[in-house]
Amino acid sequence: CICNCVASGHCRLSSHIPDVCKTEDCCLGIDEAGRGPVLGPMVYGICFCPVSKKDDLKDLKVADSKTLTETERENLFQKLDEARSYIGWALQILSPNTISTSMLQRSKYNLNALSHDTAIGLVQYALDSGVQLTEVFVDTVGPAEKYEEKLSQLFPGVKVTVRPKADSLFPVVSAASICAKVARDRVVKGWNFAEQLGEVDSDYGSGYPNDPKTKAWLLKYLDPVFGYPQFVRFSWSTAQTLMDSKSVTVHWDDDDEDGEKAAQRQNNRSMLSYFSASSGANDQTPAHQPHRFFTDRRLKSLDAL
Amino acid sequence: MATRKKRTPNAQNDSWVVVAADSVIDSQKKNSDPAFVKLRNPSTDAASLYMFGSGDDQLYEVKAFEEDFHSWFLGQTVQQDGKLLFVTPMDPLYLILPYLIKSGKEGKFQPVDQVFIDEEFPACSRLLNCTRSLASLHHVAEEKEVGSLKFHRYSRDRTLNWLKKKVERTVIALKKRNISVGEGVKSTTYVRVKPESDHHEEDYLRYAHGLISEYISEDLSKALLQHLQLPELTSPKDTEPPLKKRKLSDKPVEAGEDYTKFNSADFARKPPKKMSAAQKSLAKVDKTGMKPMSSFFSPKVKAEKN
Amino acid sequence: MSCNSNVIRVLPPVGQEQRVPVHLMPCEIEHNGSAQVSEYFTATMKDRKHEKTVSFRGRGLKGQELSCPQGYTGLVLKEVNKPGSDQEDRTVRISSVFNKLTYWNLETPPNSDDTIVMAMDWPELAEAIHGPVDD
Repeated sequence: CICNCVASGHCRLSSHIPDVCKTEDCCLGIDEAGRGPVLGPMVYGICFCPVSKKDDLKDLKVADSKTLTETERENLFQKLDEARSYIGWALQILSPNTISTSMLQRSKYNLNALSHDTAIGLVQYALDSGVQLTEVFVDTVGPAEKYEEKLSQLFPGVKVTVRPKADSLFPVVSAASICAKVARDRVVKGWNFAEQLGEVDSDYGSGYPNDPKTKAWLLKYLDPVFGYPQFVRFSWSTAQTLMDSKSVTVHWDDDDEDGEKAAQRQNNRSMLSYFSASSGANDQTPAHQPHRFFTDRRLKSLDAL
Repeated sequence: MATRKKRTPNAQNDSWVVVAADSVIDSQKKNSDPAFVKLRNPSTDAASLYMFGSGDDQLYEVKAFEEDFHSWFLGQTVQQDGKLLFVTPMDPLYLILPYLIKSGKEGKFQPVDQVFIDEEFPACSRLLNCTRSLASLHHVAEEKEVGSLKFHRYSRDRTLNWLKKKVERTVIALKKRNISVGEGVKSTTYVRVKPESDHHEEDYLRYAHGLISEYISEDLSKALLQHLQLPELTSPKDTEPPLKKRKLSDKPVEAGEDYTKFNSADFARKPPKKMSAAQKSLAKVDKTGMKPMSSFFSPKVKAEKN
Repeated sequence: MSCNSNVIRVLPPVGQEQRVPVHLMPCEIEHNGSAQVSEYFTATMKDRKHEKTVSFRGRGLKGQELSCPQGYTGLVLKEVNKPGSDQEDRTVRISSVFNKLTYWNLETPPNSDDTIVMAMDWPELAEAIHGPVDD
């Protein structure tokens, strides 16, 4: 079977589920990496272990991934992996294309909703894999209370704690943040462009919009028609502003202003046809109204090429 | 988010996408080229675009399919104008008819080439060159031969019989193509006393009559309706505005379809025992843009051989 | 309108006719001219079952291939050179041909109610309306 991610731009990676996690009460931490950058995917990580092993996890000296250097994160990830007899992890990678198309969807799907749904999916995955979850710790950037309530309702029997900066408060969240960050860095570093762009300069910088290297890269790889390769999040204002100033303009039928106008025009047209048809009965020789076979198919005669 | 830009009209279009009957290009292998021409539209009396095939043998109608907010990618180019032109063979009699009717008002038989004089549309005389024109004039006119000369006089009876056959042909095509013809008259206040099946048949007849009426004058259209023994509908609703496009509806478009899957029992179906290792899951995932993941994870997360 | 007398000649392609991939996009692109279509667009298209997916400017598109109706060929016509005065005849040339096109909807899966699919009814109906009538 081909994994769902092929279609959806989702991609999940996971460790083996430790046997002990299927028999003992477990705690689970969730964190994300790469929310802010204009480039590359967003990665969600979960890490879980038996509640009885919390201290062992602490002894590994995991900490918030943001306070660590890349090498430290790599080393810690290796340590987590070595502890695979009692620590498990899973990652969900949201491709930048998924982020763009979701956020720019007709019925907008914002980053928070996307973020919540992904986290929920990962917890469900752990449950479905037989992990005996009793405690879940979540790092959040949004309002914690509502999110905590939502998760508690979805997973009855699991004690859910949502906290800002949870990655520095709970070692199991720190561990999740390390997994997520390591994966995100790897994916960005070795991004394999689906576009046929030849050799692409991989000096993207951090991917944050204010990083001069990222800015330079965005300027260099701006295409006048297509904008950017799918590596870039089109929904970020940085990308949109650059395209607005340097690429050709593209209009969609749901562009706010245009859409309104189009709807208005359509309205006028049908009103007109209504009146012309009724006045036709009075022999007022109204403008010719094509048969609905043609109007339904948007077919019309031309008077010039 | 960036502010939306105003739409700039496409001033310099010099390219067109066309779907044309094969005879248009086949005929090019002969000596002369096909050409777009402007002729008098028999229904609107104004100019419309048509095409003559090579040597004027065949007349073609030009219709444009055009939806708002569309453009083309043609090979390695963009064409802003999203129109698609259809070039389909046309019966020249429809265009000949108004000229015959006009000259027939005097009730005289006339040499046909004297009928086609139109200062506004000089190309109209080329209609007579079409292979089918002279051969089918008898459908709409009486003919008289004096020596080697032929004379014609418009005949309303012949014309209505000819148009009736056109309507019948069209009904067959509408049925064959499964084109929905009902909506237009369903909502009228017109009370019917005929059985259901006749309603259906009448819907087809009216629809086909409407299509044929695109090619004749309003006067002739009304006469044809009588000839088909269809009462005239006066309700304005029989020409309803076109169907609303479904895709523009504002119902949510599968929001989060992919994500909600994770809430479902999707993963429960997977056997929990031999959970695939990262290496195995890697083999399954979409690696677009994620080439080095496997090389990274494989040495650390040992795959379970099973 | 003095240009009513004008005819527009359609010239055959120069040499071997060129076949090109043709995509009808669900947006208006304010551009006439070259674009790296195969590098950015075709290369990222995904084709599963009867549905193709791709994205353009960060928006998700779903599309399908449509064949030209039986007995019909797709042509791209290009103006050869616009005449200086209204009285001169214009000329277009067949620059390329196609037998199928791919049309794209914004997010909506393609289906038989799509206007372009319905428009393809036209040639067959036109044949009924315009074909010769028996005596």
